Amino acid sequence: MKPVISIEQLSFTYAGSEHPAISEISVTVKPGEFIGITGPAGAGKSTLILCLNGIIPHFQHGEYRGRVRIDGVETLTMHCAEISRKVGSVFQDPEAQIVASTVEDEIAFGLENFGVEPDVIEARITDALQRIGIEGLRHRSTTELSGGQKQRVAIAAAVALRPEILVLDEPTSELDPLGTKEVFEVLKQLNREYGLTIIVVEQKINILLEYIERLWVMNGGRLVADEPPRRIVNQPELLTDVGLQIPPVSELMYRLKAAGYYSGELPLTVDEAYWALLKCRGGKR
Amino acid sequence: MIKVEQLTFAYPNGMPVLENLSFEIKSGEFVALIGQNGAGKTTLLKQFNGLLKPTGGTVRIDGIDTRNSTTGILAQKVGFLFQNPDHQIFLPTVAQEIGFGPANLGCSREEIDRRVREAAAQVGLEPYLNENPLFLSKGQRQRVAFASLLSMRPQVMVLDEPTTGQDYREGIEIMEMVKALHRQGHTVIFVTHDMELVARYAERVIVLSQGRILMDDTCRRVFYQPDVLRRTNLFPPQIPTLVQKFDCYQEDFGTPLSVEELYATITGCGGEEYVHCS
Amino acid sequence: MPPLPAAEEKSMSIVANYLNRDSVIHRLHPLTKLFWSLWVMGLSFLFSDLWSLAALFFSVVAIAAMARMLREMVPVFKGLFFFALFFWAFQVLLIAEGRPLLTLIPGNPGLRITDRGVFIATAMGFRLMVIASSFPVLLATTQMKDLVVVLVEKLKIPYSYAFMFITSLRFIPTFMNEMEQIIQAQCSRAHRLDSRNFVTRFFSICPLAIPLLITSVKKAERMAISMETRGFGIGKRTYLHRYDFNRVDWLVSFGLVLTVIGAVMINLTGMWN
Repeated sequence: MKPVISIEQLSFTYAGSEHPAISEISVTVKPGEFIGITGPAGAGKSTLILCLNGIIPHFQHGEYRGRVRIDGVETLTMHCAEISRKVGSVFQDPEAQIVASTVEDEIAFGLENFGVEPDVIEARITDALQRIGIEGLRHRSTTELSGGQKQRVAIAAAVALRPEILVLDEPTSELDPLGTKEVFEVLKQLNREYGLTIIVVEQKINILLEYIERLWVMNGGRLVADEPPRRIVNQPELLTDVGLQIPPVSELMYRLKAAGYYSGELPLTVDEAYWALLKCRGGKR
Repeated sequence: MIKVEQLTFAYPNGMPVLENLSFEIKSGEFVALIGQNGAGKTTLLKQFNGLLKPTGGTVRIDGIDTRNSTTGILAQKVGFLFQNPDHQIFLPTVAQEIGFGPANLGCSREEIDRRVREAAAQVGLEPYLNENPLFLSKGQRQRVAFASLLSMRPQVMVLDEPTTGQDYREGIEIMEMVKALHRQGHTVIFVTHDMELVARYAERVIVLSQGRILMDDTCRRVFYQPDVLRRTNLFPPQIPTLVQKFDCYQEDFGTPLSVEELYATITGCGGEEYVHCS
Repeated sequence: MPPLPAAEEKSMSIVANYLNRDSVIHRLHPLTKLFWSLWVMGLSFLFSDLWSLAALFFSVVAIAAMARMLREMVPVFKGLFFFALFFWAFQVLLIAEGRPLLTLIPGNPGLRITDRGVFIATAMGFRLMVIASSFPVLLATTQMKDLVVVLVEKLKIPYSYAFMFITSLRFIPTFMNEMEQIIQAQCSRAHRLDSRNFVTRFFSICPLAIPLLITSVKKAERMAISMETRGFGIGKRTYLHRYDFNRVDWLVSFGLVLTVIGAVMINLTGMWN
């Protein structure tokens, strides 16, 4: 399948900074993939996201080298309006990315900017709210929403523009466990049912590994690992080397496996760990 | 150290946020306060240093009724670490920032210097004393904020989501500093959404739901009553959740909280024993 | 819904906010309502006699009642009333002409209240209330975004200015909330805001102002990025909600224009004075 995103030897140094924020990243993304990015603070995760949605190099000054292609077209040569129709973005701070005072107007904002006809906007709003499963919030005021609701409204606003790719920069960092789960359930739905390509930066590794198909680990501006979650838990050093941890249940089974108590696949979730632990017992008996 | 009696609190012309809470926190305890967003956790924390005063009942810090005191005076007993360090950093050097509290307390220049050095050492900021805090990383700025409360030498540390917005390593580093202070006899009360962090550090857990205390017990007992937690949309850490799936099989793993504990039970029930006896 | 923090509640009442009702007034075109509030202000300057100004004020009250929000507007009218009373007390003493009704200090002709003074001061008080009351009624019956659409579409004000205006209103509660957090963070470091000395008082603002400035700039930057990714300012935009200027609107506007012309004529011919 033709890649929807291809990044070649990408480096970027912010104006006024001595060190590159990201360096020599080369990677491709197939349509419909669900990718997680993790890594310590200052690893270049947000910079990479800004390179995907065109803020770099169009609005952020600095030294840009390499290529980012969306659907085969280089972002450097695209008008940034074109990029934003293909790549939807959701950011960390729910407060700072909501510009309108009602949910309906918030979702309409992008469509209005693109000059979409009012009756089409109407239909797109209904559709986006349905896809995200928040039809009930349509006429609510944005100031009275919970954090999880605000982030889902932000996702709906991005989805209403019908992008092929959705990039999210730590969308759950200000949310409680319930809000975090709500956001990931929505992403899963969008990925499975509508084939949306999703790239999400996330610190909460337990929930991330449960949902994604492919993990990028970044450190010091470089992409240091690009593996499916299953392989990541088999090589915990990929995460521990950069100061992160695999989920506790994966770690438990990893250690039991290393000590010879278990020989199967390593679990990613508590449910899988339950079956693994049962098998572990059965295998030994 | 902290005595709360029938505490009720409501914002002006609003619904009560806290309703009839009574509990005591003894000197040297390590307490986690958990609950959903909007459960009243931060509102409760702010009662401990008088930022908010009870609308009913009393909060006593070391015997002092918070209504008869001010936040400035209570700051020497209760240090408050806020979620976002950017809400307080405003001076051009780390040293001045850490010295702001003691200066407000009217300490002499030598005393301020001594306290700044001491607090910077406690959080590992000595090399940065002359830097501008705005150019430090988010994790380092959080440490500046932490040092600027330590320099007022409070006995109690109140931490509101101290690890939010930081990576795993930075979060653990902050919590390890807190743990070290706890070992020196400080009382610690912290709010977090990260249950793994609660399991790792807290001795006692208070679960808040809609302004009431749902549970107040040891960490172990709270996480082994998941049905109560679930009612407030919280999920226990992974290891207790895993162990509790085995209930129907009458498996005896005990009540482990960490990977180490469960690993030891499985292998240590002496490794072989697990294999043989099951 | 979790209860709002105190700061948010306060700011809500400062900005006269939209009250969602279904009424004749709410259904009018935003432009008609804008005309009306300008009409009220214009007339209040054309007339200077007590009875017309009082009538004008009660017409504003009547419009509020027609919009089915009299109860919510009572605090606004009440606040204005006290303000006008204060103003009246000043005015009434300044007007010396007319028949004295009361002398405050016997023998001192400067401080006396005359019949004409009472009349004029009361009229002025009403004018003040009229001028200040029409905008709250406008804002409570018209959503800010609809006003912006009208300003941009009909009155050709550039969208980015209108957008800036509406967004700054939307962010007031957010910044009030930030301010509250900052005050609490600094108080927790024994910072005192209640200094008597003017100079120290001035400097005691810095620990609050600097973090507010820095966090606001950060927020603005994030918002700008979020807006860029949603195509802000790329070309001609459309609007989800459009309002037709229908027959009622034409009728009302026509009526407003007629009364203004009438009032000007009356004024010019000096019929009232």
